[in-house]
Amino acid sequence: MSKTRLTALFAVLLVGVVSVAIAGCGSDDDSTSSGAETSASTEGGGGGGGEPLSVGSDIPYPPFEQGKAGEYTGFDIELMEAIGEKIGRTPEFTDTSFETIFRDVAQGKFEAVISAATITEEREKTVAFSDPYYLSEQAILVQEGSDIKGLADLAGKTVAAQQGTTGLELGKEKANAGDLRAFPEGPDAVNALKSGTVEAVIIDAPVAQNAVEETGGVEIAEKVPTEEEYGIALAKDNTELLEEINQGLQEVIEDGTYTTIYEKWFNLEPPKEIVG
Amino acid sequence: MNEFFNQFFDFTVMGDHFDEVLDGFFRNLLVFALAGALALAWGLVLALLRQLPSKKFLPVRGITIAYIDVFRAIPILGVILLISGSIPYLEFIPKDIRIPHWFGQPDPYWYGVLALTLVYGAYMAEVYRAGIEAIPRGQIEAARSLGMSHGQAMRHVVVPQAVTKIPAPMLNELISLLKDTTLVGVIALGEALLIAREVQAETFNASAYVLGCAMFLVVCLPAARLVDYLIKRNQTKVARGSHIAV
Repeated sequence: MSKTRLTALFAVLLVGVVSVAIAGCGSDDDSTSSGAETSASTEGGGGGGGEPLSVGSDIPYPPFEQGKAGEYTGFDIELMEAIGEKIGRTPEFTDTSFETIFRDVAQGKFEAVISAATITEEREKTVAFSDPYYLSEQAILVQEGSDIKGLADLAGKTVAAQQGTTGLELGKEKANAGDLRAFPEGPDAVNALKSGTVEAVIIDAPVAQNAVEETGGVEIAEKVPTEEEYGIALAKDNTELLEEINQGLQEVIEDGTYTTIYEKWFNLEPPKEIVG
Repeated sequence: MNEFFNQFFDFTVMGDHFDEVLDGFFRNLLVFALAGALALAWGLVLALLRQLPSKKFLPVRGITIAYIDVFRAIPILGVILLISGSIPYLEFIPKDIRIPHWFGQPDPYWYGVLALTLVYGAYMAEVYRAGIEAIPRGQIEAARSLGMSHGQAMRHVVVPQAVTKIPAPMLNELISLLKDTTLVGVIALGEALLIAREVQAETFNASAYVLGCAMFLVVCLPAARLVDYLIKRNQTKVARGSHIAV
């Protein structure tokens, strides 16, 4: 290959790489600007909308958060949108990973985090939480017909959970598993269960329920109450927004929107502790 | 700036979790050792299949080239996920083989080793090929005219010389393989960076990452220096016009 042809080849490759990079940035810009436009236009229209509110979430975690970028949906997402409507802000969701989510909201990368996040003392050292919006249980998910009937049967078994979650904590503290595997994403753990490489998964009950309904072949052996409450996380110094969100949440619960969203996503009545 | 140092260079966090991360790093090394050895062998097999002469072996050459091209083109992460997600479902294979727990290693270890061997076999085949094609064609012709078969000529004349030309690029592949063992974390093998992520989730501090990466540095930096040394030594030999010792 002559030198000029080699140069030409490099030029073509360079142009290719650069155009891909530009296209990538361009689409990012598009999504933000179109988001801003929509919120501006809804504001003009009179109902809801308003200033954008950047919200971080670890997606997918069905049924709390799921869907494609720009069309995220789920219990958390719809609840956040309902709260946003009450406080005159339009949530814009960003997919992020769970193990860095509290650090990022504390550092101001997002204004709020709604990501099926349990309120714990440990986390409260880093962030502030809203009033609880959901009461959680952990479920032991197993293959249909498994001998494992509950937490007590996990001793010596191969058990999976999602990294950084309370399910993994529960596994470490109480399951006495032979091999406890931490998967980076929850659905990967459920897939491992279906394929038979792990014998049980400890995961949030609604996620387990969703897996039973959507994928089949798996069942919930036991639900373990953990007295977990989910909250919306904010940076500690953002007390003004915290008050607004708590106020918004209260209104959403009182006017019945909360119940509608809850029943839509969980096929269950919301607990008395929250709706009163 | 202070927060930055707290996030990444908190030596208390590093000290508290040193043993865990080191345990994880040993798992990286264990994946690397087996996958490296297997890929070196598998790559040589592929390279030799690619060099088979005559029309008779055209289909073998074609399949080999297709294999090498395909596995060089798929992201390793994809190969790992596909293998770990598909093999367990092959019910005609006995359970102890499709979900292996050999030698006390969990199944993600074996899926990881298999995936990295398949991919790095293809990469290394190309390195071997460069070495083999650097041997002047006349040598094979001479060997054949002495009555050696193609296989004998390869074994006694070409390959012994070819491997002396490629330690540097091969070492590069091995360094890159060691780093890619972290990808097996995605199927929950407790390797150094997966454990570092777990530490981050517990402590909200990223120092364990720095610790994990430092362990890779300790192994990879001397290796990189060795690559440079080997290249330099090889060049000196070529420059002097001396023959390469077999």
